[in-house]
Amino acid sequence: MATETASPGDDPQRLLSSTRELTQRVRRDQRATWFPLLVFAVLTFASIPVRRYSGHHLDCAAVPRVCTVYSDAEFVYWPVALVLAYVAIAGFYIRRSRARGVGTRVRPYTIAGIIIAVVLTGVALWEVRNPPVHPVGLSGLAYQLARPAGAIGLALLVLAWAERNRALLLLTLAYLAAVLVPITFGPLQPGAPWYLYPAVVQGSVLLLGGIGFALAQRPLRSPAP
Amino acid sequence: MTGHPANGLDDTVHQRVRLGILTIAHEARRVEFSYLRDNLELTAGNLSQHLGVLEGAGLITIEKGYAGKRARTWVTLTKAGQAALAEEITQLKLLISQIEHAGRSPG
Repeated sequence: MATETASPGDDPQRLLSSTRELTQRVRRDQRATWFPLLVFAVLTFASIPVRRYSGHHLDCAAVPRVCTVYSDAEFVYWPVALVLAYVAIAGFYIRRSRARGVGTRVRPYTIAGIIIAVVLTGVALWEVRNPPVHPVGLSGLAYQLARPAGAIGLALLVLAWAERNRALLLLTLAYLAAVLVPITFGPLQPGAPWYLYPAVVQGSVLLLGGIGFALAQRPLRSPAP
Repeated sequence: MTGHPANGLDDTVHQRVRLGILTIAHEARRVEFSYLRDNLELTAGNLSQHLGVLEGAGLITIEKGYAGKRARTWVTLTKAGQAALAEEITQLKLLISQIEHAGRSPG
């Protein structure tokens, strides 16, 4: 039975609002959304010369006449780059968590990212032997999500959940829209000027998002010792 | 024993600082002593006393170690601590809704 004398601070309404405020404060301190966004922006922009200057081959379906352009070096670039990115992001979050003294929920994000990278590698290897016959329509959605840009979007959804970050969720949905509805102005040929536009648009969304989060989260970082 | 939600409040948890410690430890999974001290605006001695109460009740575990040459104390919520926090929040919400309901009732 309760025998302590209640203090004004133990008022239920105040206790509950104090709990909510502390929860929000911890979440703000845990977030470092700008870092993964900038890492993925760098990877996306770095993929442009890889795609542009590596060898290509075409796989075409007879009916309907749909061709898919493959950049050979991207099959190697993306799995390696994504795994390195997740290692860097996990390392950054852990280091930051130790410096601030508050734990972080980076584990589910890292695990999800590595699983996605492994699946992506599997899809890439499978595609080499079994090129998709019809990369549009409903099956095209799964096809787009299994591409590197889609994999980044899926991992960002997990990060939005891990950080309980609505702003990141909105940005990720905008990014996924840019991935799933690629901007094209005609048949994709490696020499066409718009061949690299999707990567430029997706990289720009990530870069601007990363800069936005960096500016928004900057005043909340712990003061220098 | 009545069904009034105030009877469901645990003295160990129903206290501003201790509830704050449990809340932060729940969100952070693992939190350092200095983070709790700064965010709850307590002295080290005062915080230690509250941590002792919570550790004695089996609601948190305290782990001491070093990060480089710097001594650190980490606090982690136990399963009993998670359950106690969830129960406290439920009882607080119930209590508030009963107070609001009583305030709206005529007479």
